[in-house]
Amino acid sequence: MTLTATSFDWVRQLVHRESAIVLQPGKEYLVEARLLPIAQQRGLSGVSELVESVRSRPDAATTRRIVEALTTNETSWFRDGDPFTSLTGTVLPQLVAARRPDERLQIWSAACSSGQEAYTVAMLLSDALPNAATRVQITATDLSRQMVERTRAGRFSQLEVNRGLPASMLVRHFTRAGNEWEISPALRRMITASECNLAAPLPRMGPFDVVYLRNVLIYFDLPTKQAILGRVRQLMRPDGWLFLGAAETTLGVDEHWERVVLGRGSAYRPRKGA
Amino acid sequence: MTTAQHAQPISLLLDPATVQSIADEVWPSLVGDGEAFVPVPVAPPAEVVSAWVDIVGPWTGSVVLTCSPATARALTENVLMTRPPAVVDDEDVADALGELANVLGGNIKSVLPGESRLGLPRVGTAPPRGRLDDVCALAGQWRGDFLTITVQGTAPHPSGTEVPQ
Amino acid sequence: MRALVIDDSRAMRRIVGTILTDFGYEVREAGDGRQALDVLEEGWTPDLCCIDWNMPVMDGLQFVFAVRATPAYRQVTLMMVTTESETGQIVKALAAGAHEYLIKPFTADALRDKLALLGLLPEEVTA
Repeated sequence: MTLTATSFDWVRQLVHRESAIVLQPGKEYLVEARLLPIAQQRGLSGVSELVESVRSRPDAATTRRIVEALTTNETSWFRDGDPFTSLTGTVLPQLVAARRPDERLQIWSAACSSGQEAYTVAMLLSDALPNAATRVQITATDLSRQMVERTRAGRFSQLEVNRGLPASMLVRHFTRAGNEWEISPALRRMITASECNLAAPLPRMGPFDVVYLRNVLIYFDLPTKQAILGRVRQLMRPDGWLFLGAAETTLGVDEHWERVVLGRGSAYRPRKGA
Repeated sequence: MTTAQHAQPISLLLDPATVQSIADEVWPSLVGDGEAFVPVPVAPPAEVVSAWVDIVGPWTGSVVLTCSPATARALTENVLMTRPPAVVDDEDVADALGELANVLGGNIKSVLPGESRLGLPRVGTAPPRGRLDDVCALAGQWRGDFLTITVQGTAPHPSGTEVPQ
Repeated sequence: MRALVIDDSRAMRRIVGTILTDFGYEVREAGDGRQALDVLEEGWTPDLCCIDWNMPVMDGLQFVFAVRATPAYRQVTLMMVTTESETGQIVKALAAGAHEYLIKPFTADALRDKLALLGLLPEEVTA
């Protein structure tokens, strides 16, 4: 065991602050097991070294990985279902009416992790639009090259497909590949995945009709949140829609957005004249 | 003549890495968060107990989980999340070990070609192995204690009767 | 809310039952499909049945057929919770009338996600 009591305590406080999850004393082995791969990826010898490095040089990306490693085993498919029911219920009909039939709808999954969010959107749109394959372009980006590669591969473990993916969608859109499940080639072709650091100037992309930027802002300080929201707005159509995580908002952060209540959740749209 | 004669042996249908990947999903969800089946063999104990399920289909055989009685008890306490002073009895052990074999077996069945049926779990002395090449064995440990997962073809029995369990 | 957990493994009944109890469910257990039908015939109608596939006496698929054939049980949501995980098996269960399908092994989070999909997660757990 290389994890010092101070390091464990720091991790506990971080996880509690970011996720409200309490790591009980005695869970040192869990912290060790989950964080060691992150330390090793960064060329550090152990978890305490990882903690020391993040404490002395705050780094939102590593902090996010640490919290994710300790709070979620797998990403859910219809995580906080509202942003998806709103997509097909409200957003899509409005976009289809507003755009020319030959205009591609551009959707961005801005912290795509292993791809569940992007593929959830692809499944919903392919069910809702007869010509989804040519009508929709989904861009999936993540900071981590490993996650981008996982998204491109479109292969998921049994535990991953168990997380909130309706069984009817599993059998319709996936085939078994050994002990894993592989998404259909048609859906994979709707998605372009690439690396992208939201905290730095963004590459030329879009303009996007819909952006999913969920559970990312919580890891950054206020000036960085403002900078990210500003850059994202530059890449959006004036009548586009932004979905944030359930615990996130632009209110009090960036006043260039208008909050719209959709069902039980909400979306944000660029404020006119801003 | 055995029914398994024309079927491909399990060694051509399944590799130990796939069995390990299945165990990697079973242990954290059923045995406990952070728990793992580690594929590093250790010396077998003097006494062992097994739980297994049969697979009947294009390939016919059993998925067998084997460990010491003490390990079986510890696994059961984990699966049932018992805390002292609660104790597990023999029926609990048979049931929990059987369910572990059942979940391993069902997932192994799903990666085999064709349609197969899964039997109900049984516990006791493992059934005899079949042909030497009809075995895919993963020897390893849990918390340092001996544990093996063996996927084995059914032994031919000339009399044609069931092997008594 | 009420849930009936149907599995021949006591360990599995306990695992599923504990998770559902934590979510605020009143839970009863049955060791096979026949016992489960007995519970329903008694008049104890659950909101949700979690159903193993391979069981003695009456298996999970037969149970689903039996429940779907009885108009009085129309409101009951049926979810398979089983190690059977081939596409063909999932299709068969859904065609028989199961609403959802959870593959063993699963975590408590996975069960919660399925309940959320089915609209069977109490509000206080959703938050």
